[in-house]
Order: sequence, then structure tokens, then C-alpha cells
Amino acid sequence: MTEQDSLFARGYDPQAFFDEMFERGASARPHYAPLFEELSRLSHGAFQQRRKDADIQFLYQGITFTVYSQEEGTERIFPFDLVPRIIPAPEWERLERGLAQRVTALNHFLQDVYGAQRIVREGKIPADLVFGAQHYRREMVGVPVPGGVYAHVVGSDLVRDKSGEYYVLEDNLRTPSGVSYMLENRQAMKRVFARLFERYGVLPIEHYPQELLGVLKACAPLHAAEPRAVLLTPGVFNSAYFEHSFLARQMGIEIVEGRDLVVHDNRVYSRTTHGLEPVDVIYRRVDDDFLDPLAFRPDTLLGVPGLLAAYRSGQVTLCNAIGTGVADDKAVYTYVPDMIRFYLDEDPILPNVPTYLAARDDDRAYILDNIEELVVKSVNESGGYGMLVGPHASAAECQAFREQVRAHPRRYIAQPTLALSRHPTYVEGEIAGRHVDLRIYVLCGPGKVTIVPGGLTRVALRSGSLVVNSSQGGGSKDTWVVGERAGRR
Amino acid sequence: MLSRVAESLCWMARYVERAEDLTRALAVHFHALLDAPHEDAAEHGWASLLALTGEEAAFRSRYEGIDEAEVLDFFVSDAKNANAVVALISRARENARAVRDQISSEMWEHLNRLYFAVKEKDAADFAGGPYDFYRKVRDGSQAFSGITHATLTHGEAYHFIQLGKHLERASQTVRLLGVRYANVNAQQEGTPVATLQLISMLKSCSAFEPFRQTAGSRLQAGDVMEFLLLHRQFPRAVLCCLGSCGDALDAISASAPKRAPRPDRPRQALGRLRAELEYLDLDDVLGPRMDDFLDGLLGKVHHLGDEIARAYFSTQVILPAARTSRGDQQQQQQQ
Repeated sequence: MTEQDSLFARGYDPQAFFDEMFERGASARPHYAPLFEELSRLSHGAFQQRRKDADIQFLYQGITFTVYSQEEGTERIFPFDLVPRIIPAPEWERLERGLAQRVTALNHFLQDVYGAQRIVREGKIPADLVFGAQHYRREMVGVPVPGGVYAHVVGSDLVRDKSGEYYVLEDNLRTPSGVSYMLENRQAMKRVFARLFERYGVLPIEHYPQELLGVLKACAPLHAAEPRAVLLTPGVFNSAYFEHSFLARQMGIEIVEGRDLVVHDNRVYSRTTHGLEPVDVIYRRVDDDFLDPLAFRPDTLLGVPGLLAAYRSGQVTLCNAIGTGVADDKAVYTYVPDMIRFYLDEDPILPNVPTYLAARDDDRAYILDNIEELVVKSVNESGGYGMLVGPHASAAECQAFREQVRAHPRRYIAQPTLALSRHPTYVEGEIAGRHVDLRIYVLCGPGKVTIVPGGLTRVALRSGSLVVNSSQGGGSKDTWVVGERAGRR
Repeated sequence: MLSRVAESLCWMARYVERAEDLTRALAVHFHALLDAPHEDAAEHGWASLLALTGEEAAFRSRYEGIDEAEVLDFFVSDAKNANAVVALISRARENARAVRDQISSEMWEHLNRLYFAVKEKDAADFAGGPYDFYRKVRDGSQAFSGITHATLTHGEAYHFIQLGKHLERASQTVRLLGVRYANVNAQQEGTPVATLQLISMLKSCSAFEPFRQTAGSRLQAGDVMEFLLLHRQFPRAVLCCLGSCGDALDAISASAPKRAPRPDRPRQALGRLRAELEYLDLDDVLGPRMDDFLDGLLGKVHHLGDEIARAYFSTQVILPAARTSRGDQQQQQQQ
């Protein structure tokens, strides 16, 4: 290999952003040093070869998502970047504590708004914001849930700003996806960079499915001595189907569709080759609206008629509970630090991104005046839809959003456009800086929060783009939490 | 096991088996044609191959003539032909995907590779006739059986796979005999053409060498039909396939939790069918009556499939037809 072939031969410019790997002056941060050393030794050709190997493994294992618009679906693998993100253990430990605190408060909040409603009565959060939220479910008021756990699985998205400080950008409390990519990325990295794993003491994440199964069983209805859990999927055409079957296999539980289940006398059964078998816990990856045509949308066959009644009677546990979406409403998000103070009497460990609520008069005026500088988001959408990145938008787009904000203030929030941190990423034949975020998966059982050390680093592959969602051209990276061994050898 | 899962497993196996059987018929046919005397014989030959899947009308409606390139295209990759090999493997894979949690990773990965291999075939695959393509599909299918045997617990899922495979194989053998027997019967017994026809028929079932190894077998229509219909150990013979279906049904039945016994209609239907073949006097059906006999036999094999579906797959409550759920599935927000 000649010097010119090396991956970093052409240099790397962190620009004005916080770069995860490099300090100012382009020297690698200590915990990245062994990785930098290894990558510098690789030629472009060798790196390309490893990339190809990883891609083909993803393809053959069917780790693909399908675009069904064409006559025959086109299958794509999620773009996976081989340069891992590395987080030192002390830094991780703070994130872990911060998220555990946050998710605990969010579960208190859910139990409260479907129960005594103290937080509203005491005026900590406006009533119309909570009860007017699109995903607030009146059907759940006064319904006890096992262990008081509403959100069993939470995916929180963190970003870092110019100074490297972490902020929580949003929490996903309905059916967060992507954890299978976290696990499969790790498998791929172990095959491709086995030697690096030796040098770093990367903390393991492979026990995630077992932890999840533990949570599901711990939340089973009391009558079930040996609870039977199933995973409810919308079906093979859903873009996350791979993940559903992956998790079901890893946990050793059955994957079912709505048509496989039937409710009789408030008990849920699955239809088997030898008759009906009772079901105790449903890890559902189907949205609230589609769960039960008798209670929610009547025009869909994805769900199970009578499921809500069975759930309300306590005969079956749903994970996550119905109605958790009220807590990931982007306007309600603004109040999470207040929830932490209110329910836990603690100071928030991790800050929110400063957020302007269009529903507040002052904030709305500020949004309308400064829309070109802001990121405006619809409160109910996810996946990178329904948002405006002011600095990257045309005057016409800004104007259109202004009118929307004026017409429907409750539906919009705005945040300053953060200079998200960047991470060296292999694109178009070279290593270049790309913006990243970090999704961390939090598991919540009765009285116990578990976070496996790692997460899914999502990367915006287009130069300058701030949108990391896979549906918007994002890719992902393996995320390593490294202990003391890092850089020792 | 979920009814839907059992059904998918069964069809996954059926589609793989069907793909193998059709490509074999295609390859054998191609080789037989090399020995055929005239042009029109060739055309007639291709037509009889189309009869195998019962899709001659569909073919004629879309293709003008009937030559090798067109038939190959129709059989292998025609997007409008539900029984094209690529479509069959693709459906096998979609069924496997739907039960991904029930089969082994090795099975899924193998089927996935096979799918990409047949999908990405190119002109070079057919430069020397369909044989290379056939070998790819055959190896893929047979390796799939082996991988299934070696990596999947021999429980209920395994038995539904065996059931699907052998049911499909039985029906393919019956179909093949139905199409081929007319040609055989038209020839004077013992002429070179008649012998070639019999050899080709045996090869279409991978049965030439096994037949030859059977003591006392003569290359005559009666012996060949007896071998392909009634042999109890040759794995593509109809009676042998039905025996394997019986083993699978017994195992499935035995895996039921102890409850009040339900009438076992699949096993009844299979028992009747096997008895009919076991006590068959072949001389009664040789000659012009064979056509009707094979037709009836195929109908009974299909009936068996229906009984299996009714007993194991369709414990479904029939819901009023609403809109298709594909749109709803895609619509689910991914957070």
C-alpha cells in the first residue's frame, strides 16, 4: 500500500462542527486513537472489500426493506457505515442515568394522565395540551396496567451541539424501531473488524432480546403462571417486518398477525393447527389506531376485534400500552424536564433542546419572525416527515409553513437549527464528516430500567443534511461503548 | 403452531418443489428434442410441455409462434406466468419470510441466495440450453431439503414442510405422466422411438438409473408406469410420495395436545387414495384408459390438499371483505 492509498491520505476537515472522532487540529480523540490507527493502515481497496462483504451478508440474510411501489418490490439494504461511533464509559454512564430518569418520569406521567391527573390539576402542564393531544386515548382512563408500566420500550434520540453537549431531541414511546439494526450492525462489525474488538473492550449488547423478554414476562397478567408472549406485526409488507421476525426469533416467541388472534370472553387466543391457544402478553408493533376495529379505526383488518375490551379487563398485557403516544407528542416533550422535577423531585440530568410551542402566543410570534433560522416540526409526525429545516428551505416553503403554523398552532413546535455533531463516514469513495444522532433503547419493567450499552447511530449520508431518518436517505453505524481497556494495547 | 404459519410452511415447500420439477421437465425435454426428427415434432414437443402446467392457452395468447426461446422465457421469467420458475422461487421466499421466525437461519439464507441466483440469471445461463439453469434450481432445491433436514427441529413445522413437498411431488409426477403417456402410448412397443420416449419420461422424474437398477425391469410402458406410480421406495413415485405424506400427517396428528379427538379427514382421504393405488391392477388402466385414470388420480391428490387446508389452515373466521390490508401495513408509522 502506498501512502496515497490510505483512507485518510487526503486529509479530513472537521470544519466548524463538533467532530466525534477528531479534536481541533485533526488529531484523534484518545478513545478513537486505536480505530484511527487501524483505519489509516487500510487502503481504499481493502476498505471497499470489507464494505462489500458486509453488504452481501445483509442482503443474503434478508436484512432489507422493500419499496413496494414498483410491480415487483425493489429491495434495498439499509446503508451501513463501517466506521463505528465510540463512546467512552464515563460519558455513557451519564447518558444511561439521564435516560433512566427521563423514562421513569415519562411512565409516571402516563400513569398520572390516565389516572389521578395530578400534574394537570396542579397546573404544571396545560390541560388542553395533554387532553388535546392526538394520541391521548380516553379509553385508557382508569384502566390499571400491570406494574404501572405503560412504555415498556422507549427509543430516545440524542444529538450533540457545537460544544459536544448531549441533548434529548425526542422520545419515541409508541413502537420505536431500529433495535434489530443495532444488533445486526454489531454482528457485521465483529466479522469485519474482529481485531479491533480485541483491542477495545467493547461492552456487549447481544442480551437485548433476553432483557426485552424479561420485561414482557414481568408485565404479564397475574393469572398467568407461565405467560405466553407473542409479537404482533402488521405483516410482511411492513417496512420493519425484518425487525419483527428478528426479535421474535431472538426471544423465542411467536410472531402473529391480527388475523391469527381471536378474542373470546375477553380472553385472547391464537388460532393454531390444533385449535385455540391462550395468549397473555402481546408485544405489539401495530399502531393504536389499527389495534382493534371495534374501538379504533373500523376500516382495517390488521388488528383484533375485541382486543381493547380484553385489555381493559386485564386478561392480556399490551407492550407498549395503548395511549403512550401522548408522551411523545412534540409539544408535550417540552414539559419533560418539568415532569422529572414534579414526579421525581430531581433535576434533569440530560437537557431538552430549547423548544418553542406555537400554541404559546410569544413563542408563535418568535417562530413566525425567525422561521428561516428554525427547524419547525409537526407534533404528531415521525420518521422525518412534516418538518421544515429553515436554513435549507426555500422562501416559498417557509411561507407555506408560516401559514400552517398560524392556522394550526397546536400542531407545531420549533427548535433552533442545531449544528449537529459530525462523524467521519465513508461516502462516495472517501471519508468525510456527516451529521449523526444517537438512538438509545430503554427497557422498562416494574421498578426496573434496563439500557444495553450501545444504540443506533444514525447518519445523514447526504452532505450537509441534518435529517438522519432511514426513510429520508439516512444510514447507520455501530455504536461502541468502551470501557477502560480502550487504547491500552 | 399457528394455522397461518403451517400454511406458509407447506406452500414454501410446495413452491420450491414445483420449481425443481418444472425446470427438470424443461431440461429433459430440451435434451430429448435434440434427438427428435422433424421441426413439427419439436413444436409438438414444446406444446406438450406447456400442457404440463395447464397454461398453453395463456401462452398462445401472448406469444406468436412456439419456439425454444419463447418457451424458456415463459417458463423461467415471464412476469405474467404465475408458474414461472422465478415467480415460484420468489413466492417460496415470501412464504419463508412470513415464517422467518419458525425456520432456521440457514434455511432462510439459502432460499434467499437461491432467489437472487435465479433472479439474476442472464443470457449466458441459457447459451447451452436450459441445463445449467436447471442444475442451479435443482441443486438449490435439493440443498434446501438437506438444510431443512439438518437444521430444523423435526417437530410440527418440519412435518408441514415434508407434507407440502411430497404432496407437490406426487401431483407433479401424476401431471407429468398424464402429459407424457399419450406420446408413449402412440408408439409401437419396442421401437427405438418408443424406447426414447420411455427413457425421457423416466428422466423427467430422475428415475432412469433407479429404474434400471430394479431387478427384472424392462423398458416397456407397463413396467415404467408401474415404477413411477406404484413403487414404494423410489422417492418420486406417486405411492411413495403419498407414503411420506402419511408419515407427515401421522406426526402432525400425534403432536396435538391431548384433547377430545377430532375427525381426521386428511388421513381418511389419504388412506383411501393409498388403498386405491396399493390394490390397483395396472393392466386395467394401461392403454387408452390411462388418461382418465390419471385425471381422476390428480383430482384425488388435489382433494387431499383441500382436506389438509380445511383441517389445519382455515380455522379462520370469515370476515366481510374490507379493503386489502397491504396499504395499512405500509402505512404504519415507523418511529
